[in-house]
Amino acid sequence: MIDTSTFHYQPTDHEAEKASNSYVMSMIAIMGGLPLPIINLIATFFFYLGNRKGTYYVRWHCTQALLSQLFLIPFNSTGFWWTVSIIFTPETISSKYIAYIITLCIFNLIEFIGTIYTAIVTRKGQHVEWWVIGGLTNLICKA
Amino acid sequence: MKKILLELVLTIAVIVAVWFGLSQVDWMKFFNIQQTTQNTEEKIGDLFWKIMKSTETEITSDSIVAPVDSMLTRICKANSIDRKKIKLHLLRKNEINAFALPGNHLVIYSGLITACENEAELYGVIGHELAHMEKNHVMNKLVKEIGLSVLISMSTGNGNSETIKSAIKQISSSAYDRKLETEADLTAVDYLEKAGINPESFANFLYRLADQTKNLPSQIYWISSHPESKERAEKIIERIKGRNFPKAEVKDSLRFGRLKEKVKE
Repeated sequence: MIDTSTFHYQPTDHEAEKASNSYVMSMIAIMGGLPLPIINLIATFFFYLGNRKGTYYVRWHCTQALLSQLFLIPFNSTGFWWTVSIIFTPETISSKYIAYIITLCIFNLIEFIGTIYTAIVTRKGQHVEWWVIGGLTNLICKA
Repeated sequence: MKKILLELVLTIAVIVAVWFGLSQVDWMKFFNIQQTTQNTEEKIGDLFWKIMKSTETEITSDSIVAPVDSMLTRICKANSIDRKKIKLHLLRKNEINAFALPGNHLVIYSGLITACENEAELYGVIGHELAHMEKNHVMNKLVKEIGLSVLISMSTGNGNSETIKSAIKQISSSAYDRKLETEADLTAVDYLEKAGINPESFANFLYRLADQTKNLPSQIYWISSHPESKERAEKIIERIKGRNFPKAEVKDSLRFGRLKEKVKE
């Protein structure tokens, strides 16, 4: 799921800190944004905007952090609006809904743990590529 | 690119598979949700009815309750609705009104019975209120208008009496939104059809009361709380167009005439 390797150049301590911060930022946004999934995306997006002219290592990790948020947005939004519809419309709570919320919790937790791990590892200057997201980031982020 | 797409599809498939797998568990039973919701609804309904009963006069005479009860039973039986769960209450009040309280309490005012020209009209109103119960409109309306937390505090006995009274007023004299009213009307048409009753009389009842509302607005609660009555009547007519309904038992029967006399006494 998460592939740790060395980057093609050794990032400086300052770069490693900035790259790590992009994951810390998305973690804080997750905690502050619940249950509004769009908040996480907006927060990470602004951090991405602020660092898009940074060094390649910083840009790469900001992009990966942004994409990781983007990936869960449709799933979280569906869960959010499903909940809203249960509260405000004749839609009723069902086993299917509860199963969906549990699924969301599992994958958000995986993402959260992955984010903490990546924040720690990138702070040490190591390179971390996520399953799917890493490949997408390589496509978007050119040196 | 191919590899990324494959990984993406695989990830989404895993998420869907986990959801599907978890859906096989009966979480409602596991978390006892249905029971809790039902308990809350029943407690609120009982509380509302207790307050209503203390301020209104309930009709307990068998000669009045039994015929209405048998009408309710007929619709329930024809539509596989558990009759035992519905608590029928008749109140002596001149207002033309009938409404459903949470916990399957069906309240009908004597004024509504006397305003009906024939049995089928009363069948229509009963069917309409039954539809609100079966489609869970009652609790949804309360949740929307007074909030879930207030309802839960009511069910645990911590409700403010003014809030409870205002909730009863909301449920007895204000409309559901148009979509829910139409859904209840059309469901009532289906109920009547299965029970072998012509729904045209129900539409006529709506038309007639809509006209009378102009003269006696404060007395006709059921219609004033159900806006766009003519439009609703037209939808009912539209729904039944071309269908064949038995004419029997829809005209003013002797039994219904006697019931009206008893109510007026």
